[in-house]
Amino acid sequence: MSTVANPAIKDRFTPKSFGEGVVRYAVIIALAGVFAFFSFATSTFLTSANLASILVNNFTLLAIIAVAMTFAVSAGGIDLSVGTAVDFASFAFVSLVLSGHSVGLAVIAALASGAIVGLVNALLIAGVGITPFLATLGTLFIGRSAQQLLTNGGNPVYLPQTGIPPLFGFIGHGHILGIPVPLVIVGLLIIAASTLLFSTRFGRVVLAIGVQQSVARYSGLRISGHIGLVYVISGFVAALAGIILTSTVSVYIPNSGNAFMLNAIGATFIGTTLSREGRPNVPGTVLGVLLLSIVANGLLLTGLSFYWQQVGTGLLIFIVLAASFLNRSSRSD
Amino acid sequence: MSSDIDTLPAYGSGGDTTKGIGRWLAGFALRGGSLLAFAAVLTFFSVSAPFFFTLGNIGNVLGQSAILGVLAIGLTIVIIGGGSNVVKGGIDLSLAANLGLSAAVYATLISAGYGDSVAIPGALATGVLIGIVNAIAVVVFGIVPLLATLAVMNVVAGLELVLTQNTVVSASTDFLSVLSSYGPFDIPVLAYVLVIFTVLAGAVVQFTPLGLRLYAVGEFPEAARAAGLPVRRIVAGSYIASGLCGGLAGILSVAYLSGSTTGAGEMLLPVVVTALLSVVFSRRLVPTIGGTLLSTLLVGFLTNGFQLLNISSTLVSGIQGVLILLVVAATSLQHGKGAV
Repeated sequence: MSTVANPAIKDRFTPKSFGEGVVRYAVIIALAGVFAFFSFATSTFLTSANLASILVNNFTLLAIIAVAMTFAVSAGGIDLSVGTAVDFASFAFVSLVLSGHSVGLAVIAALASGAIVGLVNALLIAGVGITPFLATLGTLFIGRSAQQLLTNGGNPVYLPQTGIPPLFGFIGHGHILGIPVPLVIVGLLIIAASTLLFSTRFGRVVLAIGVQQSVARYSGLRISGHIGLVYVISGFVAALAGIILTSTVSVYIPNSGNAFMLNAIGATFIGTTLSREGRPNVPGTVLGVLLLSIVANGLLLTGLSFYWQQVGTGLLIFIVLAASFLNRSSRSD
Repeated sequence: MSSDIDTLPAYGSGGDTTKGIGRWLAGFALRGGSLLAFAAVLTFFSVSAPFFFTLGNIGNVLGQSAILGVLAIGLTIVIIGGGSNVVKGGIDLSLAANLGLSAAVYATLISAGYGDSVAIPGALATGVLIGIVNAIAVVVFGIVPLLATLAVMNVVAGLELVLTQNTVVSASTDFLSVLSSYGPFDIPVLAYVLVIFTVLAGAVVQFTPLGLRLYAVGEFPEAARAAGLPVRRIVAGSYIASGLCGGLAGILSVAYLSGSTTGAGEMLLPVVVTALLSVVFSRRLVPTIGGTLLSTLLVGFLTNGFQLLNISSTLVSGIQGVLILLVVAATSLQHGKGAV
């Protein structure tokens, strides 16, 4: 938070530093904790098959969408329409493949659809000057109507079992060197996003805008262009999730992407605890997603009713947030 | 953290006189424009659907809007008390889930054989309890409201599923029959409930010292603190009030649907939009209870008008989206392009 500057250095030799350490590594401690817990509580959790399934089934899509969210949050904004980008990408992908186009062209069209959703946000936020929360909320609502109009009121678009190019299913189910394709995509994305945000001039400007927009502007940085680009990137990245999702389940369900939005926000902000200044960062986001994925999978294995799983996940997020914010607010007082 | 995510544009401070007058004019145009747009919507539907502008239909719209209206008023209170910065300021994402759980508690108690004397306090207590949890999370733990209420929303939605096993628990009592019936002038009782609730909430928020303090705390917490106001208690109170609204909306929704609902989460975004739209109906572009009622009715009339004209209701969400963008774009342009 901008009011909490960086008192950590000053406090290094006080007894508080232990508490700070706990908070700083709250995500990692929580990860280790839930990992150990589920390993003991269930016999099936700590098997290579299950761990692989966590990565493929629970982790992949949320990780991609949370990385998209991390871009927007890094620039001091938020992107509530990530799910809309997922949906439009999914729709474009399915439609083009259905009408007989090549998978390659469909992928390009899907990525472009996601980027167009992002471009709409960019125009509203950087061009018109609407605050990100409302601009992306507006995009979400309009996108919802648009999808219902495109699908005669929200009917899913199924792909037939036969006659679909094998490359279509390869994205969701295939392997490269023994590694599932979705994981390869996520891995490359994480590396690319980290590099872009932390090792390029573009990334440094975005982070500067996120910390103190007015200062960044007075420093002569081109604010609007960078902010606009961030939302285009966010939509583009989210489109990857739409492609993988569609390839995995072979169906486009209108307005299904929004289910990821709140968890992506949760993961991104859980990830901020990993940085000393409480800033969003890609590794933190990935750990946040991993935490949510392990909890979702572990709770499933404990045989707990599906409904209790949601309670458990919510409680865990709550505790991690409480731990980190309790400490931050005590430092600022 | 990158926490300066404002929901509403900040108000420009200072500026020379001509600029001030210009801004005032722009504000006037926007406010007048939004009322004009409201009137235009009503006129359009009245002309194209003769049944639209009848007392019965207007009463129906009011009745159908009661649940959304009560929730949006709860959120408005939180936004007033927390300021318009979404992350650091006030927002309550748990409201829709609150409605779901309160309704489930109410319906479950009724179907377990308890009377209204137990079920009504039960539902309201559920809502207040959720509000208290939010208040503790925000005020004591210092979790930013967007995240605190997001986590609480997950827990509450989960508890509702646990309680109902994702089924509709039906409930009917004499009290519910009265709530879902028609009152004087053939207007639904729910419509009267909405109007009375708005008047009560509006009286407290707009016309009492408590309401004034709520605005003071939201707009300038440091100044409010310096002036000796109990900032934390007022902010906590706003979340508890919002929780109470969730509980009340839960009861109304059981009356409206004759049982609990499994789709309460769908209400979240419409509630957020309705509460945020309320600013355009106020003179100084701040959220008000009356403004929230008007924006609730605007959404209600649009939905109703489309139904009467047999236009697909799928358009409603899109039109809500366009509305937000138009309104906020106008406000942003009015305050200058600086506030990206």
